[in-house]
Amino acid sequence: MNTSELLQRQSFVELSARARVAQLLDGGSGRELLGPFERLTSPWLALQDIVTQSDDGVVISRGTVDGVDVVIAAIEPAFQGGSMGEVGGAKIAGALELAVEDAANGKPVVPVLLLETGGVRLQEANCGLAAIAEIHAAIVALRAWVPVVGVVTGPVGCFGGMSIAAGLCSHLIVTREARLGLNGPQVIEQEAGIEEFDSRDRPMIWSLLGGQQRHATGLVEDLCDDDVRAVRARIVEAVQSGDTAPARIENIQAFETLLAAIEPDVLAEADKVRAAFEQQANHAGAFS
Amino acid sequence: MNDTAKPRQWNMRAQDKQARLDSIADRLDGKLAQRDDIAAVLYGCIRSGDRVIAEGNNQKQADFLSKALASLDPERIHDLHMIQPSVGRPEHLAVFEKGIARKLDFAFSGTQSHRIGALMMDGTIEVGAIHTYIELYARLFVDLIPKVVLTAAFKADRAGNLYTGPSTEDTPALVEAAAFSNGIVIAQANEIVDDVSELERVDIPGSWVDVIVEADQPFFIEPLFTRDPRHITPVQIFMAMMALKGIYAEHRVTSLNHGIGFNTAAIELLLPTFGEKLGLRGKIATNWVLNPHPTLIPAIESGWVESVHCFGTELGMEQYVAARPDIFFTGHDGSLRSNRAFCQLAGQYAADMFIGSTLQIDPDGNSSTVTASRVSGFGGAPNLGSDARGRRHATPAWQDMAPAGDKLGRGRKLVVQIVETFQAGLIPTFVDELDAVTVARKANLAVAPVMIYGDDTTHLLTEEGLAYLYKAESIEERRAMIAAVAGVTPLGQRADPNTTQRLRAAGKVRFPEDLGVSHTDATRSLLAASSINDLVDWSGGLYHPPARFRSW
Repeated sequence: MNTSELLQRQSFVELSARARVAQLLDGGSGRELLGPFERLTSPWLALQDIVTQSDDGVVISRGTVDGVDVVIAAIEPAFQGGSMGEVGGAKIAGALELAVEDAANGKPVVPVLLLETGGVRLQEANCGLAAIAEIHAAIVALRAWVPVVGVVTGPVGCFGGMSIAAGLCSHLIVTREARLGLNGPQVIEQEAGIEEFDSRDRPMIWSLLGGQQRHATGLVEDLCDDDVRAVRARIVEAVQSGDTAPARIENIQAFETLLAAIEPDVLAEADKVRAAFEQQANHAGAFS
Repeated sequence: MNDTAKPRQWNMRAQDKQARLDSIADRLDGKLAQRDDIAAVLYGCIRSGDRVIAEGNNQKQADFLSKALASLDPERIHDLHMIQPSVGRPEHLAVFEKGIARKLDFAFSGTQSHRIGALMMDGTIEVGAIHTYIELYARLFVDLIPKVVLTAAFKADRAGNLYTGPSTEDTPALVEAAAFSNGIVIAQANEIVDDVSELERVDIPGSWVDVIVEADQPFFIEPLFTRDPRHITPVQIFMAMMALKGIYAEHRVTSLNHGIGFNTAAIELLLPTFGEKLGLRGKIATNWVLNPHPTLIPAIESGWVESVHCFGTELGMEQYVAARPDIFFTGHDGSLRSNRAFCQLAGQYAADMFIGSTLQIDPDGNSSTVTASRVSGFGGAPNLGSDARGRRHATPAWQDMAPAGDKLGRGRKLVVQIVETFQAGLIPTFVDELDAVTVARKANLAVAPVMIYGDDTTHLLTEEGLAYLYKAESIEERRAMIAAVAGVTPLGQRADPNTTQRLRAAGKVRFPEDLGVSHTDATRSLLAASSINDLVDWSGGLYHPPARFRSW
């Protein structure tokens, strides 16, 4: 990359949820649903002396991307670690359920989920979990009609129940800085011990959970640069593709075989994980 | 004359040195000591009460030797007077806790700042003074002449030639003081080679070195100057924009030193974007006295920088620096040659501006990073952040500081303090009295540890405004100017709005709107690089950040 290219590059990771939406939608096509002026805030955070945000950290917007009707749900990484509370979770679930209705009525709307989230908001516990379950169900229902596009760029990554939502998407786009995993590094360290997983060992963390590794093992479809234009180009391709269920989702058998082959007492290393996935892929043609 | 008196011997120091070296001769192979013999070597070379330098630099640490020193028996070796540019290792303080050493003269304490504060206050450490680097080196040649120097190198040959390479730092100054006063120089090296031809280059001649030993592991080096652009805030960008317009462009500052905080990192990353838009490339910030800051890479790559002389190195920057020899000072082997003594001199006499941050500022503009029990020392800041009264050459920026109508044409160095009015946790930066005053009393220091004196400060920049303190016509006006930009801190609330208005009208204080800088423009998108990854891209893959800074 030369100097002028470097200067023109605009980081997607840097943008707030609302700015991300504005950059992705065709100019003038955006219409925010349940925006901040509706003042739908978390009823739980205030009880715990935590300052609320008037959109509860989730931006929902209808609009078009290169002419395709989409609904974007963007999680704000800077608010409570992108956590899913009752209100924010319900906004996403509701948007997806409306998209299911639209699709059933012959008006397909492609959902694009900007997943920057540590998972459930601990302060809202079951209310958040219930919303996440609704999100999962809606994604599965939508896949009968349209592709469901998930995007993880960083800085937070995508963890917890929302990593399952990511896994359910028919098309996942990540950057090198993205991390995707069920448990976050600190949680793994806390549960399994620092010998198993040192949450300060950044190269190790990214080698296992990072975008490059997830792409190399076929768990995500696209790896792209942290640049607004690059991210948008991949999203345009994804929303225009009719592919609603890649082999990654369908071939459960292959994953079960892979899981059975894993020896949990052997410390995971990036190369070994890649080799195992590759072997299984050659074997079953599962992950592509 | 009393002819019964014995004639004075004039080489007592040389005799003493020889006696000490003779006592360990059977343990040495030429100059080479075995690692396992290091305690015996130290017992032979060091006597109780000696002045000893344990090379703790800003970054490079002679840690094998300092650990060996800390493991000596205080019954045999005690009351040492330690002299250290930097007290950065736990064992540096262990020598005091064990009673091996009693007195300490130093410049910087970094990671040990809390513990050193506690040990000073309970009397375990008797501190001579907290110096600035160049002041401490200076005293090595006058009233703190060292008896033993423990130093560190990447490589040594059997003749004692040292290759210190990018991490040369303080070594020449420390070694010279002992080598030419019949002191003893003991060097640890990561690797010992047979012949000088196997060294990349010679940074310290072998004849200055008495004992070499191969360390058990490479010397510790700390990446002190890497600031992850990810953590730069919009407020810091806003202030960086004010600085570029109101100071760099205003005074045409070409030669300069930056502090190590995020504020100045933001300025470095704004040069190729905001600075370019202002048309300032080639007109400002061309010649630097600076460590190889990774955040300077975009400015270098886009043609802003003509030269950089370095105090020390920075982990991960070695290959990048070696690939840019037109910019950095490098040896014939290609690697960086840093030299803190010369770089401090350059910062004092040849740089037009110092700009850096601090933790506390008092109503007179005195500033300090010493708070409560934290005694960090200031390293180079007191030197870089002070006017060079011996300076006799003029540059546009320097002369801009001259009082109107001054017939002598006597300018000043620009000394800029860039601070947010509140620190993290809503602690006001502006205080009625520096904590340093209390600390000095509790720790029996003759001089309060002030980093930069108010009368040296020419500019004070906060997110509220920019005070051109050098334009103050009286102490009272100066105080009013400081209060005018102190925001809603208690000091700022005492500012008189009418006075502030008058100061703005006179151009002595400028608010952001006076400078044409708007909050809404100050976004992180203005940064030429917004992550460490971007810096790697800018370097064309030549910058190799330490693992802890990687997020991929």
